[in-house]
Amino acid sequence: MRWRKLVIAVHRDVGYLVAGLTVAYAVSGVAVNHVADWNPNYVIRTAEHQVGEVPERTASAMATTVLDRLGIADEPTSVVRMGPGELRIFFEGRTLKVLLPGGTVFDETVRRRPLLFELNFLHLNHGKGIWTGVADLYAVALLTLALTGIFIIPGRKGLGGRGRWLLLAGVLLPLVYLLIAT
Amino acid sequence: MTRNRNLLLALVLAAALASPLLAADATVYGDGVTLEKATPIGELLANPDDYVGKTVRVDGVITAVCKKRGCWIQVSDPDTAKAVRIKVEDGVIVFPLESMGHKVSAQGTFDAIHLTPEQAAKAAAHRAEEHTEESGEEKAACQAEPVGKTVYLIRGTGALIR
Repeated sequence: MRWRKLVIAVHRDVGYLVAGLTVAYAVSGVAVNHVADWNPNYVIRTAEHQVGEVPERTASAMATTVLDRLGIADEPTSVVRMGPGELRIFFEGRTLKVLLPGGTVFDETVRRRPLLFELNFLHLNHGKGIWTGVADLYAVALLTLALTGIFIIPGRKGLGGRGRWLLLAGVLLPLVYLLIAT
Repeated sequence: MTRNRNLLLALVLAAALASPLLAADATVYGDGVTLEKATPIGELLANPDDYVGKTVRVDGVITAVCKKRGCWIQVSDPDTAKAVRIKVEDGVIVFPLESMGHKVSAQGTFDAIHLTPEQAAKAAAHRAEEHTEESGEEKAACQAEPVGKTVYLIRGTGALIR
């Protein structure tokens, strides 16, 4: 049948085209599904230091004292006095939260998760703009894959037999869940 | 083969041309900032009733970011230590965690939320989720959510981070 040959050809070529993005979206999908348990984009580490009492002066002078005591030579991006009880010293990817008085310092470093950050950026369309159009086209491609996939195999392994039941199971699964969960 | 090589070369060239854009000094988020004049954060918090429902712009330093979803930033005035939260719709604008400590201009509608116990509990749960990586003492400090009182924030529509 000529139409089935066309269906197979479309399924094959669209499949090749979107295989890479499907893997990327699938990996990101699992990662962001579990956002309650971990941070899928960043590795955040916090260390605790003690620098003792910091004499009350301007924010930048107090920051200099803290950095000297910690042996940090880098120039901060900014220094902000958050109130009488806290000073924050910012670097690229690093924040020092200094509790006053007492001199306890929470040293927080932030690093992007290699590859996963980029996959999530694409999957969740953080960039907007042109990627919104690409993501729409990808959705159309997935729809094409789903619809052509149904008609690839004729007979008992296709819609005439096993395929029909698998298709039905796939449709019923979310419906049953919705009935229970909503 | 030559055609494929040309295509690859074109892609590399496009990436090279795009890189200065990616490394630009200022990044626009959402609709950006259109108001020319910023309202001091201290003025907003001192006279909130004058500003609720109005579009305002604030300038300052980003001193906190939603760690998991990038759905809010805290903007502080380094001169007065006054701070206000810019809340954006999840996924519409996503603030990167690396923007901590950077200068920002942000714009949106100033809003007052009278926290019900349910809202306070929800906010506390969101905060707990954000601070899963932190140590016990810091986590406890971050979860000090004002229960039952009026919280002021800006419903952000855009920002310019330098």
